[in-house]
Amino acid sequence: MLANWKLKEVVLMSLLAVVFGIIYLVFLHIGNIWSSLIGPIAYEWIFGVWFLVSIVAMAIIRKPGAAVVPEVMAAAIEVMLGNAVGPRLILAGLVQGLGAEAAFAATRYRRFDLPVLIMAGVGASLFSFAYGYLLGGFSALSPWYVALMLGIRILSGAVIAGYGGSLIVNGLYATGSLRGYAIARQKRDVRV
Amino acid sequence: MSTWLHRLNPSIKMLVTFVFIFALAFYFDPWTPLFVFIAVLVVQLLFSRINWKRWALLMLPFSLGAVGYFWTTYVFGTSDDRLETALSLSFRVFAFSSLSLLFVLTTSPMQFIMSVMQQLKLSPKLAYSLLVGYQFLPVLKDEFIQIRQVQQLRKPQVQKSTLAKLRALPSVAIPLLAGAVRKAEKTAFAMEARGFTGTRDRTYFHEVRLERFDLYFSVVLIVIFTSCLVVGATL
Amino acid sequence: MAMRLHVKSVMYVSKWIEFHNVTFHYPDEDTPVLSDMSLTLSEGEKWLIKGPSGCGKSTLFFLLNGLYPEACDGEVDGTRLLFGKPYDEYRPGEISQSIATVFQDPDSQFCMPTVEEELAFTLENRSIPREEMDLQITRILEETGLTQFRTRVIQTLSGGEKQRVATACALLMNPKIVLLDEPLAHLDPLTAREYVAWFSDLQVKNGWTVLVIDHQDAIWESFFDYTLVLEETSMPPLKAKSAYAKEVKSQQDFRAEVRVPGILHEAKLEVTGGSITVLAGPNGAGKSTLLKALAGLIPKADREQSDETIGYVPQSPEFLFITPSVRQEVSFGGGLRTEEFLTKLLLEGVANSNPFAVSQGQKRRTAIAAMLNDGRPVLLLDEPTAGQDAFALHELEDALFQVAAEGTAVVVVTHDMNFAERIADSMLLLKDGVLSGPFHPANVFSDPSLLRTYRLVQPTGGARDVDVASSLESVH
Repeated sequence: MLANWKLKEVVLMSLLAVVFGIIYLVFLHIGNIWSSLIGPIAYEWIFGVWFLVSIVAMAIIRKPGAAVVPEVMAAAIEVMLGNAVGPRLILAGLVQGLGAEAAFAATRYRRFDLPVLIMAGVGASLFSFAYGYLLGGFSALSPWYVALMLGIRILSGAVIAGYGGSLIVNGLYATGSLRGYAIARQKRDVRV
Repeated sequence: MSTWLHRLNPSIKMLVTFVFIFALAFYFDPWTPLFVFIAVLVVQLLFSRINWKRWALLMLPFSLGAVGYFWTTYVFGTSDDRLETALSLSFRVFAFSSLSLLFVLTTSPMQFIMSVMQQLKLSPKLAYSLLVGYQFLPVLKDEFIQIRQVQQLRKPQVQKSTLAKLRALPSVAIPLLAGAVRKAEKTAFAMEARGFTGTRDRTYFHEVRLERFDLYFSVVLIVIFTSCLVVGATL
Repeated sequence: MAMRLHVKSVMYVSKWIEFHNVTFHYPDEDTPVLSDMSLTLSEGEKWLIKGPSGCGKSTLFFLLNGLYPEACDGEVDGTRLLFGKPYDEYRPGEISQSIATVFQDPDSQFCMPTVEEELAFTLENRSIPREEMDLQITRILEETGLTQFRTRVIQTLSGGEKQRVATACALLMNPKIVLLDEPLAHLDPLTAREYVAWFSDLQVKNGWTVLVIDHQDAIWESFFDYTLVLEETSMPPLKAKSAYAKEVKSQQDFRAEVRVPGILHEAKLEVTGGSITVLAGPNGAGKSTLLKALAGLIPKADREQSDETIGYVPQSPEFLFITPSVRQEVSFGGGLRTEEFLTKLLLEGVANSNPFAVSQGQKRRTAIAAMLNDGRPVLLLDEPTAGQDAFALHELEDALFQVAAEGTAVVVVTHDMNFAERIADSMLLLKDGVLSGPFHPANVFSDPSLLRTYRLVQPTGGARDVDVASSLESVH
């Protein structure tokens, strides 16, 4: 897998991980400490922001592993920064990255259009929820509450990560800065 | 003795942390996570030099989260003894966070990456890319703040709500990402121009080794935490 | 592609690099960026590579140091020989041991936290045993005079220091050939001169073959033996400043007093509407901070100013862009003169393009047009000249005169003293957070002690030295 990744692609994954990490922390997180009092459901609706990096990186690079690796890298950088959720994030990142990866793998890495990106968002939601179910002890909660959390998370994954991710990727593609990546080559082949 | 945790090989430390975080997921009594939390505190007191003020500051958000967890489980729980489960889940938050802090506060970023590369055989391509990402973090954060500022200069309106921020996300993210793509390429080329090939065929300036000490000390930690699990389960 | 080689007809014993009829295509493009290029480099030669942005200068460097075609999946035709052996017969990473490259951007060529670790990275790549590393690091630091920086964190170094460290990292490989891609673009004039002197010394000691891409070749003085021009440029006609009609009706002076605790002392400034003020001073003096503070982007700044609607164009103009086309960018603020400003700032041709996809000069002019169209009476520009070729500088100059003709008060931060001399009505000088001025430009440039204090240099070559074709004749 790694052998046919170019260094610029791997460095890009890492920088994407950083960018989306910053967006999450600076944009949405800080100052909202009181929301944590609301309980595990408080952040459910913006959970999709976590999956953005998988979807954006895969849509650009289009190689097996391009969804799961940046997600884990994002977590590893959190660890390096001294974030207390860090080490757990590495596992969480691996799991939710695999969820997104599964959707792309299901198309044999041939399709990267909106429906597939949305499926990837949903896949990440499902996998991450299963992980949260185990580690967060959701089994102790009433089924309707768990179902509500799951519903919100899937919606967030589909809308924020899937649809939002496609907005960001298309916007970025239009800037012309993705020349030299698979997305540019494939879009060009389609056009010609 | 007070440097042992800092000295412990980061890969080993990470694996020990992972194992016990996972193991704790299967306990729903309040005692086991509480014991583990206390054990972590004792271990840190004995084997590390920690700025406890910083530790408390880092724990604070998790304490609030634990409160959230407590009442959620208490109100929406299904088990026979809701109080017990609620306590268990909030202690679990404490145990997880303190275990994570035990790792994070005693491990330098460089040592961490170097060890994962040398002991867990992470590809140098990934490892050095991670270091690049880490170096760029403050730069990209500054850019992010600057982009938001100058965009507000053009479109002066206060965006307070999370939803409004989310809507404005693409217009802020795209300049930042376009810059990140360029930086990634430039940096990757600069690395390759200096002979970086991404293969394992290289030497290390920071050599991180596995020593007998790592074996002994990790066994000590495993014994301490396992006994918490065992005692908790028998109560 | 027009190409002129100024090679002395001297027989060299050793040809280090030979390119015969090399053509290169990027994978996403139909036209080749380099075509039918031939070039022979021999021991100890010093080459200046010139040409407008996008003519393939950097591409040529990547072909020379062997990163292309692999790194970008491009297509290369023709013969490339290094020390008589075809490029593709070298192992990955092997070529980089004889050809060192230093890049333009001091912030995008490091991957480690400290100077020492960054140097070690080069050694690790060459599989130098750990025991030898300290010795080699000490040696190169002494040779380059950087010993005091050994344990410094790279992010905390100045632009000039970073470029020297980057150079030291490259030299650690004991290269035979050194490529410098616009190493001076982000340095203040005196720092740039010092770098040139420092590098020249090293070159004499080591006898490298050197290729340098640079738009500001005057700073290099007599360093080069040869000049290679990739593609000629024809300059847009320049009008005298007086030829720009002034709309006196909207002219408005701008007065401000700002202070940024810890960075900028009480700075008082007054800029006449319709005039251009150049703000100059050494790297790290606080020039960017002053502009940001004036624009209201620094929350902790104390400021009092005659106007609050400030136009501001950051060093990366694309930070401002919110819409998918140049035209929409210009009209975004609701101004009614979109088409007029698109024409005046020479943006009609790209009006429908994505603002990120146009050239750096066009991006900046798009930002300027947007600010003008908003009717902002003050325009602040942060380093609009860095890394710009002569053509883009011409267009920028024209744009700034257009802006001033609108009655706008303009403040420009620049390190390019030739440019400053051409545009400035007055100058402000900043050092260590202390602002002085206004000065008359002629007084600044004729005062050696002022120049020294603010790390500036005299403009070279009179009013218009930007014409590539004419300056060529002076080189051999």
